[in-house]
Amino acid sequence: MPSQPSAVHTETESTDSASAAAARGAAGTSAFPQPHEVMAGLRATMTAPGILSMLSPEGEFTPSAEFPLDVTPELVKGLYRDMVLVRRFDREGNALQRQGQLGLWAPLLGQEAAQVGAGRAIRPQDMVFPSYREHGVAYCRGIAPVEIASMFRGVDYGSWNPREKRFNKYAIVIGNQVINAVGYAMGQRLDGALGDEDDAEATITFFGDGATSQGDVHEGMVFAAAFNAPVVFYCQNNQWAISESIHRVARMPLYQRAAGYGFPGIRVDGNDVLACLAVTTWAMDECRSGNGPVMIEAFTYRMDAHTTSDDPTRYRMQDETEAWKLLDPIERVKAYLARNGLADAAFFDSVARDADRLAEDFRSKLVNLPNPPVAAMFDHVYATPHPYLAGQQAELEDYLAGFADGADGVGADGADGGRR
Amino acid sequence: MSHVETFALPDVGEGLTEAEILGWRVAPGDEVGVNQILVEIETAKAAVELPSPFAGRVTSLLVTPGQTVDVGVPIITIDTDPSPAGVPVPDGVIAEEAGTKIGEMTADGRIATLVGFVSAASAPGRRPRRTDPVKAAPTASATPTAKDPAPVTPTTPVTPTTPVTPPAPAPVAVRRASPLAAPPVRLLARELGVDLHTVTPSGPDGLIRRADVEKAGTPATALEPVRRPTPARSGVDPSRQRRVPIKGVRKATGAAMVTSAFTAPHVTVFHSVDVTEMMALRERLRSRPEFADVKLTPLAFVARAVCLVLRRSEDLNATWDEAAQEIVLNDYVNLGIAAATPRGLVVPHIGDADALDLRGLARALTELADTARAGRTSPAVMTGGTFTLTNIGVFGIDAGTPILNPGEAGILAVGSIKPTPWVVDGELAVRQVCQLSLSFDHRLVDGAQGARFLADVGGLLTDPGLAFAW
Amino acid sequence: MATMTLAKALNTALRDEMAADRKVVVMGEDVGKLGGVFRITDGLYKDFGEDRVIDTPLAESGIVGTALGLAMRGYRPVVEIQFDGFVFPAFDQIISQVAKMGFRSGGAWTIPLVIRIPFGGGIGAVEHHSESPESFFCHIAGLRVVACSSPSDGYHMLRQAIATDDPVVFFEPKRRYWEKGDVETSIHQGDYFSSRVRREGTDCTVVSYGPSVSIALAAADAAAAEGRSLEVIDLRGLSPIDLGPVLESVRRTGHLVVVSEAPRESSITSDIAARVTEEAFYSLAAPVLRVAGLDVPYPPSRLEEDFLPNLDRVLDAVDRSLEYR
Repeated sequence: MPSQPSAVHTETESTDSASAAAARGAAGTSAFPQPHEVMAGLRATMTAPGILSMLSPEGEFTPSAEFPLDVTPELVKGLYRDMVLVRRFDREGNALQRQGQLGLWAPLLGQEAAQVGAGRAIRPQDMVFPSYREHGVAYCRGIAPVEIASMFRGVDYGSWNPREKRFNKYAIVIGNQVINAVGYAMGQRLDGALGDEDDAEATITFFGDGATSQGDVHEGMVFAAAFNAPVVFYCQNNQWAISESIHRVARMPLYQRAAGYGFPGIRVDGNDVLACLAVTTWAMDECRSGNGPVMIEAFTYRMDAHTTSDDPTRYRMQDETEAWKLLDPIERVKAYLARNGLADAAFFDSVARDADRLAEDFRSKLVNLPNPPVAAMFDHVYATPHPYLAGQQAELEDYLAGFADGADGVGADGADGGRR
Repeated sequence: MSHVETFALPDVGEGLTEAEILGWRVAPGDEVGVNQILVEIETAKAAVELPSPFAGRVTSLLVTPGQTVDVGVPIITIDTDPSPAGVPVPDGVIAEEAGTKIGEMTADGRIATLVGFVSAASAPGRRPRRTDPVKAAPTASATPTAKDPAPVTPTTPVTPTTPVTPPAPAPVAVRRASPLAAPPVRLLARELGVDLHTVTPSGPDGLIRRADVEKAGTPATALEPVRRPTPARSGVDPSRQRRVPIKGVRKATGAAMVTSAFTAPHVTVFHSVDVTEMMALRERLRSRPEFADVKLTPLAFVARAVCLVLRRSEDLNATWDEAAQEIVLNDYVNLGIAAATPRGLVVPHIGDADALDLRGLARALTELADTARAGRTSPAVMTGGTFTLTNIGVFGIDAGTPILNPGEAGILAVGSIKPTPWVVDGELAVRQVCQLSLSFDHRLVDGAQGARFLADVGGLLTDPGLAFAW
Repeated sequence: MATMTLAKALNTALRDEMAADRKVVVMGEDVGKLGGVFRITDGLYKDFGEDRVIDTPLAESGIVGTALGLAMRGYRPVVEIQFDGFVFPAFDQIISQVAKMGFRSGGAWTIPLVIRIPFGGGIGAVEHHSESPESFFCHIAGLRVVACSSPSDGYHMLRQAIATDDPVVFFEPKRRYWEKGDVETSIHQGDYFSSRVRREGTDCTVVSYGPSVSIALAAADAAAAEGRSLEVIDLRGLSPIDLGPVLESVRRTGHLVVVSEAPRESSITSDIAARVTEEAFYSLAAPVLRVAGLDVPYPPSRLEEDFLPNLDRVLDAVDRSLEYR
């Protein structure tokens, strides 16, 4: 097997991986995975009993009777374009972090199909409760990359209006959002927003395999079952909770946990955008019509580090990543389009150009984001006036106005990231 | 044309402060694109590669492999607008490139170091404030309750940068349960027995300061008769007082006097003496050649008389040794002379005064006085006295109650000599009369002994011829 | 004596205690193979094995709850909470069980459990990674709460915490992890939880702990250049607080400024102000002034410089205090 760039590398580079490996050896004194652990990991991550797959890694499509999908060329080309663009700006996010423009980036590399498939199944009136890696779902909700990255730059908590986009702000404490989503869905039910009409609503919440250990997720599922909440629990099982492999935590496939709570659980090939779209569409419809909740386990793989602060070479072996590369979610769609003569080189080139333009736009908007004003710290802490906080704000602004050099201490250095 | 951009080492892992350069992937002169890998670094968390934020031509590498570099330090410069004519790219020499020498500040405020630049802002020290900083005490309008005043000087202008807040309510006289004063000032008031409610504050917004309490606590105020307060004279007027630090001789004197007054039980006896004969003798002696160069003062006669009498009154020449619980009887007379000098009271003594004759004593007194006034009295003669004379007569004073020089048993004050109506042999006559005031330590000297001593001294001065009999 | 980072000092303390007592176990998320996200447990998994360096599921309540059970079984668990903002799922276990188990059992159980929490901001992190929750724990009887500020204190305080038979919530200033200092590992004696005068001075007392101690010391340097002498005290112990050196200092200077990153209200700075007022009222020439975090959620990192105490804010408070003279 040829040497390959490590997962933290960008798409475009080529590198001397021998020195990279040497460097990693120097960097990490922790124990490295042993061969038997690698085999166990591969078995756990590659074998997925009960998995639903529609588009093979080779680009062969097999329809599902249970989860019907009207597969048109335009649909597939659109999904392809979505995934390429999402991957492109995700890679740009990594690079921007390495260039000091972002404090952190949580990459989604490898999870494009799981996110775009689900994202395209959600209707405008549905509500989404994401974790913090759902850039692909956000993109499907019409949120621009810079609106996501502003959070990782430390400008705000994400620039989109979660109420208008019906896509809540990212949740960073693991599992918190799941139980909130259940409550929101309970409200939809109480409001009589369910039914067979086109404007009927449902809720979907995203979380990872790691979050399934948290009490909040368990409690959310108990509540959802108790109150028939119209909520889809969408677990992207990317196999790794930072350094913790899911096979160490879960003796049974995660989707089977749903049976314990008394609602359906489906394991879907998370690298198959068509399967993800079909299953999520079905699950949301089930919820809309009052048959929720539903759990979906999108079986996928975190190809990159947990975040840009992480070093996966300390706890997993390259072989595992290499094996998953063969299951790439975008390549199989490209193969499908090419195999069926649905797209030509001009199409792929135009998508690539669009992706580069998106990345360029993302970069230029991001590096020019102004720092927020001091008042932003105080705005919206309370919905109603708070005398003490108003006094503290006045105190701070007085203090900042007292410097002889005139700068108010905020935004004085422009948007070039000089403060960090 | 060229436009050189600098890429500083970013924090790639949440709070990391430094990284080691593992290896460069580019060299000066290379063309690079955005996101092309420039360098591999190793942090405390991981080895990672840094992609280029710029497209252009590498002009210099500012750090070398193996080097550990702080976050924020520039590591590479890239010309994003290289000359189309292909002007040779200068090699990577930092100081040349930047035109900035180590320690100098660049136009953008960074300071060149050996390996690059550090932010000038990170230098220790504070950001300058406006001349009289607007203090951050929240405005009353912004807080639910009014705050106690911060001690801002009254001349401080109201901040022109007051943030947009609801207009402040009109000042309302606050009825305070307690006067405003800092805790140490409260403590002082308690120690001085001053009721803070009666103190006139001098600070802003009625703040009572230490000086206000001190003023209120002085006797002048306490003794001041109750009268209608007038603004100008509500208390002692410090502008018409002068304060001199207690130090040096004054401090030593004070301490000595307090020690003496509060350790030795003083008894003072008085005696008026007709010294007409003594004054006549003085006139006769002054005309004699052996006294020609001597300043023969009445004090010299008193000194001689005291020395003679002390031979028979050893208790008055004794010392009370508290520590040893002993009375020290001195077989010599070290006669202290209280001298008023510009620096204060000093009491040098004439050693072995009892061994001197009248002429010797007169000469010694003159020397002692001259030395003391010149401030050259040696410490040795300031201690070890056994009895002291104080000449209050030079000030026209007749009598007093002198305080003992610490440790001594007696002190004799000599009053002024002046013509006085005096009964002589049943007839009223005008005589030269002097009052003697003797204080003695009652622990050492009984009243009878003290009275006898004073009578004997007086007798010798009244009839100097008696000296033949002593 | 060796020079090392705070991260390495903490790592060394864990290693030394684990080598000395096989009942000392480390547990938490990613503490094993990865060595912890801040590398505090680096190398321990390799040297002590997976039974003593336990990679746990991602569940803080589970981590603390099981650690309590292990402590009842005779172990001395050292728990790592990955980031300050992630301790709250474990709050219930800490408050309801860990803090009270000794008391409720009439002393039948002692709970020698250390809960390590990287805390404070200043690293440009995303939400929930820059919190200063120490006062929550100080409010709970049964917990000892401490915060280290230097590599030397990190080493000795962590060893003392592991040796303590009470639960100790051990706060580590994450933005100081990579700062270096001298550590004497061969001598370990005395009480490292007591307040410590880091710099002597005469004009104003500045009390701090954790990440703000460096700021107080820098302020003292700057003040010295202006002719003002600041005394800097590092509390180290937050519950209980060793107030003696603080009172002694305030009685000399008459001025007190307390510095902390935590929001100002109902905080450790509040408590210091109250207790000094109670016990040294007549020595206070000025009100106790607090330089603290704002009473808002920890802001996006681009605003954290205006949220956090810094040298200028400390000096401003010193100026305001000394104006009462």
